Parts: sequence; structure tokens; C-alpha cells
Amino acid sequence: MSNRNLMLIVFSVAVAAQLAVPAWMIAGRERTMREGKTFKFRTRPVDPVDAFRGRYVWLSLEPGSVKVQDADKWMANQKAYAVLGTDSNGFAVVNRLDRAMPAGEPAVKVRVRWPNIQQKEVRVDWPGLDRYYMTEKKAPAAERAYWQHNVRTNRTCHVTVRVSGNDAVIENLFIEEKPVSDWLKENAAR
Amino acid sequence: MNKKAIRSLYDELPGLVARGILTPDAAERLRAHYGPVEPARPVKLAVIIFGVLGSLLIGAGIILILAHNWEDLSRPARAILSFLPLLLAQGLAVWTLLKMRDSIAWREGASTLVFLMIGASISLVAQTYNISGDLPGFILTWSLLGLPLVYIFNAVVPALLYLWGITEWACHLRYEDSFNAGYWLLAALLLPQLALWMKAGRYRTRPTLLLWAICVSTTVAAGVTIERVLPGLWIILYSALFALMFLAGEFWFSESGGFWPRPLRHFGAGGVLVLSFLLTFEWPWHSIGWRHWQWERLHDTAWRAIPDAALGALIPLAAIILLVTTVRRKAPLGLLFGLAPIIATVGYCLSSLSESYAPAAGLFDLYLLVIGLWLIVAGIRVNKQGQMNVGLLAVMALIIARFFDNDLSFLLRGLIFIALGIALLMANIFMLRRKRGEP
Repeated sequence: MSNRNLMLIVFSVAVAAQLAVPAWMIAGRERTMREGKTFKFRTRPVDPVDAFRGRYVWLSLEPGSVKVQDADKWMANQKAYAVLGTDSNGFAVVNRLDRAMPAGEPAVKVRVRWPNIQQKEVRVDWPGLDRYYMTEKKAPAAERAYWQHNVRTNRTCHVTVRVSGNDAVIENLFIEEKPVSDWLKENAAR
Repeated sequence: MNKKAIRSLYDELPGLVARGILTPDAAERLRAHYGPVEPARPVKLAVIIFGVLGSLLIGAGIILILAHNWEDLSRPARAILSFLPLLLAQGLAVWTLLKMRDSIAWREGASTLVFLMIGASISLVAQTYNISGDLPGFILTWSLLGLPLVYIFNAVVPALLYLWGITEWACHLRYEDSFNAGYWLLAALLLPQLALWMKAGRYRTRPTLLLWAICVSTTVAAGVTIERVLPGLWIILYSALFALMFLAGEFWFSESGGFWPRPLRHFGAGGVLVLSFLLTFEWPWHSIGWRHWQWERLHDTAWRAIPDAALGALIPLAAIILLVTTVRRKAPLGLLFGLAPIIATVGYCLSSLSESYAPAAGLFDLYLLVIGLWLIVAGIRVNKQGQMNVGLLAVMALIIARFFDNDLSFLLRGLIFIALGIALLMANIFMLRRKRGEP
């Protein structure tokens, strides 16, 4: 076999791997979008300065802390699984925090920020669910809308997330019960 | 004698014979002595640079066109379009392999474009699905997917991008306080290609560029991959790393002159000088050594200290082995720079045992002074102005730093500066005159 043909074969293997990675990402997310259960997450008030990131809206999901019995056994930066449930208003709540992936229950990976031993709770981040991407033109307007509707007195933002097993994908960002793109169109006219 | 010099000598020979300075016989004997040199083959550097730049611009353009109206597309359409930049780049790369294999510009350009578009495709998918979070994981995946391009296209720019990627990955993991010593294995994946390039000609552009990048990358990595269980380990590690670079440069790259073709020698020498200068201050020697061993860092993850021990042992060991061969070859400059890890270790033990810092700092004052003076004297003796100036700068930095440690008046400081400046000018004028053969 000539050197050229050998290189072409090696390159086709490399090409296959290069295409497989994004394809695998898409397949997994599409499956979650199709089969996953929808959870509505409340969003937490954010520092308006901190929220500006240009191409995406920086989200901060609720709940930010989880009640646990063994707060002293958790460490900062530890990875955990938040087993999800729904409250009477239809919003997502964390039923419990597991160290290993629970089987047969919808659960999302979270990161422990710090344990609060006195309050018997653990503060958590939702590291995979903190960005909602938009184009450069729309992202700043969406950010402004997001934090105006996310102050303590006026909390009308929520995010829908599809969860299947422990895969979670953000579906949409809502402001006043409308998807953010629709809300921006309506409010641009005003 | 390097090839460039031989080539210019050969160019001179016919003229010398014509003017009767050399007999034709002597000219032939010279040719036989130095052997044949390949004719100068001007690598069209501009073409290569513009090839790479062109592919960068095309890639950026494709991404911008995609980003325009991006939101009006449906999610599956966006997902499929995310592959477009990568597919186009791969198509160009296949064409290059088929039709343009002999063109360095095409190989470098096409492989660079593929490398960048791998990252673009993954980020476009991530944006479509609002995936965030694992930045180091993304960089590592990207780098590993791009690594085969180095070997398939025999190209150096993807190697530089890969090296940047794994260095960035190690830095991010350090920031997250995760284990990142895998960097050294990842970096070693480039060594076979480097060996092939060096075999073909170690002073050529590709190995030279890669070696410069390796010097920078390993210097960063040495700092971020150690676990900091033993405070002050960096002093020994860095002094050994720079000495190892210098000695390896002296050992394997001694036939060529010039600054750029010898990255190991010059980066290593610069490293030893800067590090020695830092170590003449007392602050690096505070709270180091086994009395300040950080047990709490060892508590949960004792195995994470293994790379520390391995790096802290292997690099100094390699440096000392090269130092021994250098002593055998009676190369004084190699001996001087190669001593750095030994002096650092002595300083380390002194500070650890006595909890006083002045002796270790003083040791490096002396070391830097000796290196500086040697560089000046040797530089003057063999007519190397650059070497002499480096020596002068080392000595001057030392003098200025020590004078600033003390509270001297501005007048005195000013006079010292003037004196040092005059010394620098005089030395250079003297050197220039001597080169021109004036008295």
C-alpha cells in the first residue's frame, strides 16, 4: 500500500472520530428532548452586572440549597445528583441529594458549593444548566429582561428543562409565561 | 561549522582561486573536507503564513455566516449546520492529501483549518443545546481529536495548537484543584513526530518551532502540575528543568550558531538566569522544606503526590546525568548552568534546616555573579557580543537589586545607574572595535 493511501485511511479514521463527537452530543440531547420529563425551574435573583455575558443569558436556577441530614459529610466542589420532584405549583424541587447516580429517577448533576452544618443544608450550583444562548443582538436585551423580571419583588422568570435519567437539557427560557424570543418581539414594539 | 557558513565558503572559493589566493587543488581539498551541502532551498515562509492565515479567515467567515439568522433556524437544522464548517475543512484536507501533498503551505493550512473547525463544530452544538460547564473537558477532547493531524499532514501548526490545548487544560484543572499530571503523557504524544523532524534536520523550521513551544509549555506545566505538598519543591524542579534544557541544547544542538535555531539552549539559559535572579531575594526561601509539609493536602489524595515525587526526582536526575557528561567533555559553560539544580538543592536544605534565608539567597548572589562574570570574560575572549551583554545584564541586575535592598539616597542610586550604563556602552564599543580590527 502506498504511503498516500495509508495516510488517507488514517485520516478517514480521524475524520470519523471528529464527526462522531458532535454527532454523539446531538444524539444524546435529542433523545433527552424527546423522551425526557419536563421540569419547570424557578430562577434566582442575579446580580445584574454579573449577568451580562454577551452571547448568552447567565441563569441561576432554584433551589440553591438542599436540606440534608448529614451536612457535615459534604465537601465543597463535590459532585452530587439532585433527585427531582415537583411542588404543588408545578415547579421543580430537589427531593434529596445522592452521591451516586440514582437508578430509575430523574436526577441532575450538581456541584456542592459549601455545606451549612448549622442549617443542615448544602448549597448547590447547577453547572450544566447555567447558560441560555442567543445571538449577539438579542442576548443583551434578553439579559436585561431576565434580571428585571428576576428581582425579589417581581419574579416571573422560569426555565424549562428536559430530564431523562441524569441527562438534562434546557428547553426554553420564559419571561411572564412567554418564551423569551416571543417576549422580546412583543416588548420591542412597545 | 554550520551548513550556512559552509555554503557561503563554497560560494567564495571560485573567486579565491581566480585571485590566486588558493590553488585549485586546495579549493578541492576544502570541498572534500567539508563534504557536499544541499543547495539552499528557500522555504516560502510567506506562502505558508498566508496559507495558514487564509484558512483562519475562511473558518471565521463560515462561523459568522452561520451565526447570522441562526435563531430563525429550527433546532435540528442548526444541529446539522454545525457540521458544515468541519465537513468543508475535512474536504479541503482530503483534496490536499490527494493533490497537494508536497506543498507545505497546503498541508499546514488545511490541517490548521480542520483543527480549528473541530472546536467550532463542538461549540456550535453546545450553543444549540445550551450545554455549558466542562471547559477543560471540551479543550481536551478538541486537542485529542486534532492530534492525528500532526502525523497525517506532517504539520507543525496543529502540533502547536495541540500543545496550547493540553497546557490550557492543565491550567484549568489546576484552577479547579483537580489532578492534571496527565499533561506529561499527553505532551509525550508529540515526541515521535519531533524525533522524525529532528532526524530530517534538527535546525529546520518545524522542529525549531515545536521545541520553542515545548520549552514554554513545559515551563508552565511544571508549575501547575505539581501538587504543592512539599512547599518550595518548585525551586528544585525549575532549576533542574532549565538546566536540563540548557544541557540538552548544548549536547544535541552544538553545531549551529544563532539564537533561534537553538531553543533548548537559549530558553534554558534564560530560565536559569531569571530563576537565579529571583532566588537572590529572600522571599522564595520563606517557609519551605519538610517542616512545612502540607499533610492536609495529602490526607484524601495521597496518590496525587506521586507525580510530584516523580517529577522532582526524574528531572533533576536527567539534568545531573547530562551534567556529568558535560564535565567529561570539559565544557565550562555547561558546567556553570548545569550546576543550578545542585546549588538550588543546597540552598533548599540550608533554608529548611536553619529557617534562615540569607545563606540561600547569598549562595545565589554568588552563583549569578560567577555566571555573569564568566559570560562577560568568555564573551570577550571568543568575540561574542551577545554573550558578553547577557553577562553584563546579569551582573547589573544583581548590583541594582542588592543596592535597592539597602536604603540608599537617590543621588547614589543615580550615580550607580550612570556608572553601569557607561560600563555597558564602553564594553560594546570595545567589542565592536575589536571585531573591526581597530586598536
